Amino acid sequence: MMNIFKSLTAVSIVLALTSCSSDDDTTSLAAVESVSITNLYAPQTGGQGQPVAGAYTKFDFETGATTTSATNWDVAFRGTSIIVNGGSTTGTDDEPERTGDAAVYIASGTLSSVTEVDATAFVQDGAAGTAIPAGSGNGWYNYTGAPSHLIQPIPGTILVFRTSEGVFAKVEILSYYKDAPESPDAFSDATPYYTFSYVYQPNAGVSTF
Amino acid sequence: MILNNKICVYFFQVFLCAIGFSQETKLEVQKDSTQVLEEVLVTATRTKRQLASLPLPAQVITKARIQQSGTMRLGAILAEQTGLITVPDYGGGEGLQMQGLDAQYILILIDGVPLVGRSAGTLDLNRISVGNIKQIEIVKGASSSLYGSDALGGVINIITETPQYDWQGDLKYRAGSLNTHDLSITSSYRNAKMQVQGFGNRYSSSGYTLDPESELQTVEPYENYTAQFKLGYAFSDQTNALLTTRFYTQNQDYHATDTLSGASTIKEWNAQFKLNHRFNAAWESSFEWYATHYKTDAYLNTLSQTRYTDAFYDQYFIRPELRVQFKASATKSFISGMGFTRETLKRTDFSLNPRFNSAYAYLQYDATYFEKLNLIAGGRLDMHSVYKTQFSPKIALRYPVTDAIALKASVGRGFKAPAFRQLYFDFSNTTVGYTVLGYNAVHTALPEMQERGEIASILVPLSEFDADLKPESSLNTNLGVDFSFSKQLTFSLNAFRNTLTNLIDTRIIATKTNGQSVFSYVNINDSYTQGLEFNCTSRFFKNILLTGGYQLLYAKDKEAVSAFKAGKVYGRASSASSAFALKKSDYFGLYNRSRHTANFKVFYTLPQYKANMNIRLTYRSKYGLTDTNGNNYLDRYDRFVKGYSLVDFAFNKKLGSHLELGLGVDNLFDFKDAQNISNQPGRLLFGKLNYQL
Repeated sequence: MMNIFKSLTAVSIVLALTSCSSDDDTTSLAAVESVSITNLYAPQTGGQGQPVAGAYTKFDFETGATTTSATNWDVAFRGTSIIVNGGSTTGTDDEPERTGDAAVYIASGTLSSVTEVDATAFVQDGAAGTAIPAGSGNGWYNYTGAPSHLIQPIPGTILVFRTSEGVFAKVEILSYYKDAPESPDAFSDATPYYTFSYVYQPNAGVSTF
Repeated sequence: MILNNKICVYFFQVFLCAIGFSQETKLEVQKDSTQVLEEVLVTATRTKRQLASLPLPAQVITKARIQQSGTMRLGAILAEQTGLITVPDYGGGEGLQMQGLDAQYILILIDGVPLVGRSAGTLDLNRISVGNIKQIEIVKGASSSLYGSDALGGVINIITETPQYDWQGDLKYRAGSLNTHDLSITSSYRNAKMQVQGFGNRYSSSGYTLDPESELQTVEPYENYTAQFKLGYAFSDQTNALLTTRFYTQNQDYHATDTLSGASTIKEWNAQFKLNHRFNAAWESSFEWYATHYKTDAYLNTLSQTRYTDAFYDQYFIRPELRVQFKASATKSFISGMGFTRETLKRTDFSLNPRFNSAYAYLQYDATYFEKLNLIAGGRLDMHSVYKTQFSPKIALRYPVTDAIALKASVGRGFKAPAFRQLYFDFSNTTVGYTVLGYNAVHTALPEMQERGEIASILVPLSEFDADLKPESSLNTNLGVDFSFSKQLTFSLNAFRNTLTNLIDTRIIATKTNGQSVFSYVNINDSYTQGLEFNCTSRFFKNILLTGGYQLLYAKDKEAVSAFKAGKVYGRASSASSAFALKKSDYFGLYNRSRHTANFKVFYTLPQYKANMNIRLTYRSKYGLTDTNGNNYLDRYDRFVKGYSLVDFAFNKKLGSHLELGLGVDNLFDFKDAQNISNQPGRLLFGKLNYQL
């Protein structure tokens, strides 16, 4: 189950592109989209010491929805691992082929304070591992260990994506638990249900949000 | 020197003691005497010193206080003292936090020699029977200058009873909530030449459950037995010997899940032999030989009674030590010691059976200048087979400005050697799949895992494990003032700071192909604890003793402080809300530290009824146990354990000259926090009976 609240709030926070001063007038730019996704379900099999498997849940920023397309996706989720549609597979079972040139990097800040894309920072998946590093404290989450055993998104971690279409999106993951409870309980709240907010810059060549 | 009656009596006792039986005869009686002067301790200087004249922050809990409070657990007695907090450990054990330092940095001694068996760093205080404690001595701040490793944050020395003259015997029985029974028998004999004492204790409890929905008990039923035997003989006025042996065994049920059950056992013995000789008025020496063995076994069976796990921990510790005292003059004395320690451990999930050998020597100078200024200066050298030689100096001063005011200052270094598990652990969790490797085990274990194809990537190169893991160390400073308005009203204030370096923590060194991590130990953190401790005692009202204490504490990680300062840390007001940048002031500090702790106690004696009663209140302000908003730091937006108070009450009455009855309530208002405080079972009622021959 997945609810999508598209809130096209930031209608034209954009954009005084005054720097390009050619003769022909620039076409007006599309608005930046601020979107919240709740309960994106991304189950896996295995884990807990066994080989991890199961289909990834793919997501496309352009449509703002999950997809089963083999090619037209940007980011995909399975358990705590997040992959991008760029680079090559890391070698786990049931991992989709990377058909695009999407990439990602982790920026430090809040969703509003990360305003510019650092084009030199992008990383893609590969045999050495996913572009968003796996494991507690390495990528997007911290695992608290005993006794609470929670997976918590690291605050201040903004995932900046280059999509398959070559435009940019910035993502803040908010919860790994179903319905994003205020005080999740690892023993009773279901996982993995991603809740995240993102800002999508639909205009090609624009590297600010 | 003017002595009042009390001091005379006291002095006489000590004098007798010195002739008949003492290894340490140094004693300073000062004229700014109050009743507190009766309290003497050996832990702070390894010589007998009055608590009141000591330049170091220290406390003494007397047998009378312990008996009046009626408490059955050592942890509970200590938790009533200012600045001491009991911290729950696995399986119902308790460790002690002092000056904001963890239980693993507090050395626990029994009759001056260390207890071993810190399988996860904490030594469970409740292993020690309360029934034959003569007094508990607490020295705060780094004491490695006398005691070496582990005395980084302070020392707790539990002094057991010594025989009084002639035949003595007593029987103590206490019964209380949770089906707790505590039975002690002591018998002793002493004459001018010989002393002998036997003590036996049986303690049992059915444990308790804080979460009624859980299939598992919070603390499983257990029973334990302690036996202690002392034998002493004075060959002459100059020479005597003392042998002390102690045995302890505990059996406890063990349930891991509703389908896995078994039992755990602890077996421990200690043997201490001491030979004291006084050569002349200036020179005396003691030779001490100490050995201890601590062994635990735990197993789990499945429902079909097949063995699921077996775990053991088997530690030996042997230490001969020679001490020499030289009294150069009435105001100047030296004490020095040298010794050798051998420790071995066999343990489940270890890469080898490790052995530590260390030789050590210490020297301490204690002098009084200008009739008033007391100086203690000393240092200890520890040469160890595994880590670098450690030198731990200490200096302390006390100056009575007037009869009413005395200033105290001390600076010392403390250290804690890496524990066996931090060096040699080789453990893989079978259900979750992660691995923990001791620092010294990495070099062999990681390549082996790699060969078996278990390693996905190595994050920390093996070359980082070439140098030795360094001992954790601290620099401890205390500045204090003692102020006595009168004999009836005294105050003391102490400001302390512990600067800690090379703290050992775990980090991920490799990722496994199963998606889990390999952890190992590293010298990573620098942190500090600092604060104020305040104590006051009033005997202002007849037959009423009032005591109060307060500790203010700031305990912080230095890396965290600078990360917050740099604006690199983000937080959430609640899970699943958007993150924002945190300010420096949002950092709360280390886990499990309360900013404020306080206690207030009233002891009321009713001599006309041969009775006494007391009420004791302890308070602890809020503290954090884990990070709850994902940034791995404890900040003000995390969920905290709420502050709480405990109130205890006890009443004792003598019937005739032999019998004393008592009853009481611990935790009168039945405070519980099932989720966060596993060592607080709620209200406990008890009754007790003491029969003295």
